[in-house]
Amino acid sequence: MSASEHALESRLLKTGSERLALLGKHADVLMQAYTRDEVPLESLSDSALRKLLAARILWRPDEQSGVKLAPKVRELIAEMLADETRRHVNADVAETLELIRALVHSYREARSRGEHWRLEQQLMRLRQEVDDLNGRFADAIDSLWQRLNSDFGFVSQLNDKIRENDRAQKQIARLLDGLALIDFDELIELVGSDGSLRKLLISQLQQQLSNHYTGLREVQRRLIELMARFRKQQARSRLISGMAAFMREHPGFVPGNYARRSEVPGLVNQAAPLSAAAAPALDRNLDSRLLAELLHQLPQPRHTTQTVEAAAPAQAQESSLAAARQQALKQDVEHFYLSVIDQPQAEPVSALEYLHESPLEWPEEIWLFQVISEYQGLPRSDQKAFRLKQQESQASQFNHLRLIHDVELQLAV
Amino acid sequence: MIEHGPLLERLLAGEFVCPISDESGYRHLTNEETREEIDTYLRPLNRRLASNEDGSVYFLAWRQLNDNARDQLSRQLGDTLNSLLPLLEWLQLVQEALGRDTLAAPGDVLKPAEFSAKCEDNQSLRERLERLATDSFFGSQSDQLDAQVKQVFKRLKEHGYLLQPHSERQVFVVTGKIDYLVDLVRFIRDEENLPIEEGSEEGSGAQEALL
Repeated sequence: MSASEHALESRLLKTGSERLALLGKHADVLMQAYTRDEVPLESLSDSALRKLLAARILWRPDEQSGVKLAPKVRELIAEMLADETRRHVNADVAETLELIRALVHSYREARSRGEHWRLEQQLMRLRQEVDDLNGRFADAIDSLWQRLNSDFGFVSQLNDKIRENDRAQKQIARLLDGLALIDFDELIELVGSDGSLRKLLISQLQQQLSNHYTGLREVQRRLIELMARFRKQQARSRLISGMAAFMREHPGFVPGNYARRSEVPGLVNQAAPLSAAAAPALDRNLDSRLLAELLHQLPQPRHTTQTVEAAAPAQAQESSLAAARQQALKQDVEHFYLSVIDQPQAEPVSALEYLHESPLEWPEEIWLFQVISEYQGLPRSDQKAFRLKQQESQASQFNHLRLIHDVELQLAV
Repeated sequence: MIEHGPLLERLLAGEFVCPISDESGYRHLTNEETREEIDTYLRPLNRRLASNEDGSVYFLAWRQLNDNARDQLSRQLGDTLNSLLPLLEWLQLVQEALGRDTLAAPGDVLKPAEFSAKCEDNQSLRERLERLATDSFFGSQSDQLDAQVKQVFKRLKEHGYLLQPHSERQVFVVTGKIDYLVDLVRFIRDEENLPIEEGSEEGSGAQEALL
C-alpha cells in the first residue's frame, strides 16, 4: 500500500515539475497569448504544442478555432501581474466545503484504522484546502482594495469606472454569500473531539474568516461611497452639457423671475455685498497716539513736489484737445474734397485758395499737409478718382529737396 | 465674535466661503453654534447665513425680502443668467481640453499654460476659446491665445470661481462656488421643466433590479 502511494507521489512530482517547466520554457509565447486572443502557433513546434495541450496550459475550444490559453493559466498570470482588468474573484466556497467534509471523513477513517501515513496525508490536504480558501478571500480582498485605491485607474472613462465598480460590488456580494455558507455549528459537529482538526477548522478558520468579513464590509462601504461620487460627477457633467446645449438651441430662453415669487427659493437669495469700511478717527486719546505712530512709520514719499504742468489730468485734457483739433482739421479737409467733387467741368481747385476763401484759420503748412495725407490715406480705387498736382520747386541746386507751395486737386474724369 | 471678524467681512463682501477659499472660516461655519452667533450678528443688517444643499459653500442671504432686496435679487439673477452660458461653455471646454471625463470640481488645480497648450494644438478648441474669450462676460480684446486665456482666468477669479493661491504663479484652484453654479443650473432645470437628462442613460438601475 505504502509503496504504491510512494510511487504515485513520485510520479506526480515528476510530471508536475515537467509541466511547470513548460510554463518557463514557453513564457514568451504564453504571454503573447495572454495579451492576444490566440496563441501564435508559428513560434511553437508540433511537439511543444502537444505537450502544452496535454498539460492543459493551452486548449482548443473546437476544431475550427485557434489554440488559446487555458482559463486557469490566464488567471494565474493575471494574479501574478495584479492585472486588475482580468483578475478573477473566485468565491466558490460550496465546493471547498464539500471537499473539506469528504477529507474529514476519510481522515477519521484513517485514524480508526490506524493508518498513520494516510492520516498525515489527509491532514495536509485539509490544511491546504483551508489555506486555499483563505488565500482566495485574501486575494479577492487585495484585488478589490487595489482597484479601489487606484480609483479604478486601469480604465479611463467614467462610464467604465462605474461599470467596474458595479462589478466589484457584485463580487463582494458573492464573497459575502460564500462566507455565509460556512456554518461553524456544522463544522464543530463534524470535527468532534479531534484536537488538530478543531484547531484547523474551528479556532483558526473562524478567526481568519472574521477578518475577511470585516475587510469585505469595509471595502464594500468604500466602493459604495466611491460609486456615489462617480454617479454625482457623471450627473454634473451631463447636467452642464445638457443645459449648455439647451441654451445654445434656445438663445431667447429666460427662466422665471424667482426673486418676485412670494417664496423666494433659498438658492437665489443672495444678499448684496456690503463693505465694512473704516477710516482713521481721532476721538479717542489712545487711538490718536497709535495713529500718530502709524503716520510716522509711513514711508517718505519719494517725490515731494510735483509741477502742476506735469500733473496727469491736465495732460489728458491737452491730449484730448489735440485730438479734437485733429478731428476738426480732418473734417474741414474732407469738406474741401467734397467741394472738389462738386466742381462743374471737374476743374482743378487749389488747396490754398480754398483755404483763403473759406473762413477757416488753419496754418497753410498744416492745411497742405492734411490735404496730401488725406489723399494718401484713400483706398487705391478712390485715389484714382482724383488727380493731385503739387506745385513745387527745388529748394537748392545742391540737393534734390523740393518745396511744395500749393496742391491742386481735380476730379479725374 | 471678534475671532470671526475676518470671516464676517468676507461674507458681507459677498464672497462664497468654501473649504478651498477659506479653510478655517469654513470649518468654523460647520459648527452650528458659530452659525447661530453669526446669524444673530447679521440680524440688524437684514442678512442671514445661507448654504447650498450639500452645505459645501456658505454665503449671505437677505433675511427679510423687502422691495429693495427683491429689486437687487432680480438684477443679480439677470446678471447670473447672462453669464451662465459662457460659464457652462468654459466648464465644458476645460473638461475637453484637459481630456478629463469629469467636470472641474472644487479643489481641482488648473494651469492656464496647460490649457493654452492644449487649445493651441487643436483648431476646434482654439476657435471655441476665441468665441468664449470675446464674449462680453469674459471681455477679452486680444487676438492672442495666451492673453485670451489669461483674461478668462482673471474674470473667473474675480467672480470667485477660481482662486489663485500665489499671485506670482499662474496656478488656479477651483472653488466651491462651482458647486453653487451647478446647483443653480439644476434648480433652473427643475423649475422650468427643461428636457435635460442627468441620470445614467444605460439603465444600470435596471441591471441592479434584475439581480
